[in-house]
Amino acid sequence: MTVMVAVPDSEEGVRALEAAIAEAGERGTGLVVVNLTLGEIDLADVPEGMACELVGRKGRTDRDPADTVLHALSAHPDVDRLVIGVARRSPVGKLLLGSLSQRLILEADVPVLAVKLTAH
Amino acid sequence: MTHTASQDTPRGVELPPLQPGPHQRRLDLIAVVATFGGLLFGYDTGVINGALEPMKADLGLTTVTEGLVTATLLIGAAVGALASGILNDRLGRKQTLTIIAVVFFVGTLGCVFAPGLGVMLPSRFVLGLAVGAASATVPVYLAELAPTERRGTLSGRNELAIVLGQMLAFVINAIIASLWGQHEGVWRYMLAVCAIPAVFLFLGMLRMPESPRWLISKGRQEDALGVLMQVRTEDRARAEMAEVEHLADEEAESQTGGLSDLGVDWVRRLIVIGCGLAAAQQVTGINSIMYYGTQLLTEAGFTARAAIIANVANGVLAVVGTAICLFVVIDRVARRKLIIFGFVATTTIHGLITVVATVMPAGTTRAYVILVLCVTFVFFMQCCLNAPVWVALSELFPLRLRGIGMGLSILCMWLVNAALTFAFPVVVGVAGLQGMFGIFFVVGLVAIVFLWKMLPNTSGRSLEELEESFSQGQFV
Repeated sequence: MTVMVAVPDSEEGVRALEAAIAEAGERGTGLVVVNLTLGEIDLADVPEGMACELVGRKGRTDRDPADTVLHALSAHPDVDRLVIGVARRSPVGKLLLGSLSQRLILEADVPVLAVKLTAH
Repeated sequence: MTHTASQDTPRGVELPPLQPGPHQRRLDLIAVVATFGGLLFGYDTGVINGALEPMKADLGLTTVTEGLVTATLLIGAAVGALASGILNDRLGRKQTLTIIAVVFFVGTLGCVFAPGLGVMLPSRFVLGLAVGAASATVPVYLAELAPTERRGTLSGRNELAIVLGQMLAFVINAIIASLWGQHEGVWRYMLAVCAIPAVFLFLGMLRMPESPRWLISKGRQEDALGVLMQVRTEDRARAEMAEVEHLADEEAESQTGGLSDLGVDWVRRLIVIGCGLAAAQQVTGINSIMYYGTQLLTEAGFTARAAIIANVANGVLAVVGTAICLFVVIDRVARRKLIIFGFVATTTIHGLITVVATVMPAGTTRAYVILVLCVTFVFFMQCCLNAPVWVALSELFPLRLRGIGMGLSILCMWLVNAALTFAFPVVVGVAGLQGMFGIFFVVGLVAIVFLWKMLPNTSGRSLEELEESFSQGQFV
């Protein structure tokens, strides 16, 4: 039993990480953080004692962040919840950049917890 | 014109010093082939300068078809630069370069024997494929075979070889024009000379080994060690395997960023700066002078025969500027300062050329004044805005963004180059030199403002420090 969270380089990513830490704490499980940014992410908020694994993006096969998350999911069969952050995106933005959340909700084999920006 | 391979400084790998020995000869051969790759690139882009005038008369070109003949090569180059990334990855560097040499040869033959535009334009496009692919492959291949200590010198040598190739093209065109200027097909002789370096590149590549970094990226450790043993002493070769593995790993990492990352503000901003810088370098019009120098000088008031000889001065000053840049300036002046100074200098000269072309009466004096301004422009451009722009680009993008960042910037460079090259004869035909240089002047002012506001200084800071401040939204 583990919670996985997808953290892109945006406000939604920060919110998703917060929510995933809370979720893992509540359920008393470990956490797998999938870093979708092109840099480092700050894991200082993960409480001591919570098992936390960091998965990064690397190479051509990880160009599409959705692939990174789906690969990480199949590599971690113990994950039973995926946390993502969602935000409204313009139709043009969706066309150009695709929708990460939509692909994950439709293609992930585990229940997905979608955290909204306004919920905060 | 071209791009230097990113300066690889592997961390934490200690290497035994380079020792002389039979492997040294292999390394020297690599340097010679390096020079041919660059020369070929320079020669092929420069040869049109001088060949175009007689071709115009022979094939009955208008200003529009003249622009097309020159620009189709650049469209091909944009496609070639993009495609070469995939070929380099799938087939390896050696095979890609061998194919490039063959394509060079075929494209050259097509241009030399073209009876009209129907064959000329596709042949120029094919030639462009090779030019673009070579510009992206040669520096990478060299950097991957050269030992760390000589890597910087080799990529500098490539830059120098390119401008030398252009100068050589101008000189040989001037000689051919003086000897056989009365033949209507004289431009065919000029273009035919391009086949010579292509043959040398082909023969050279047959004797070159595959890049150890590529072999390792394909999991062929044994073969990679075999290649290293040819070009290093044995202890050094074994020690270097760790370095090469580290670099192959870094290269894989540099391909991480993709289109989806353009949704992130700081990523988008860096890409805009990179593409803007590449485009700004082209809108100085340096390549208009490198491709149309002879016509420009004819327009300025020289006779066709004098113009092709005077044009050699452009080639010489390009070499001098590049040499001063590489040996004196580039490591001493902060990158941002040097680039902005370069744009101020070139834009000022554009302004002066506009004024001279408008105010001075047509004649020999005007021709000479424009020649002097023109070569001064070429000098400042090559000294401040050629290699420094490519180095700044390679420093601008954090590792995981570098593949797509450089790719898009280079694409932008070729496309702007192509658009400008197509437009140059048309605009000069309609509005004269003053019209064209007036446009260069205004666009130069825009470039200065853009860079002043956007361009971060990338020298004197480690790539890690830059990455950290960019991702926190600080671009100063």
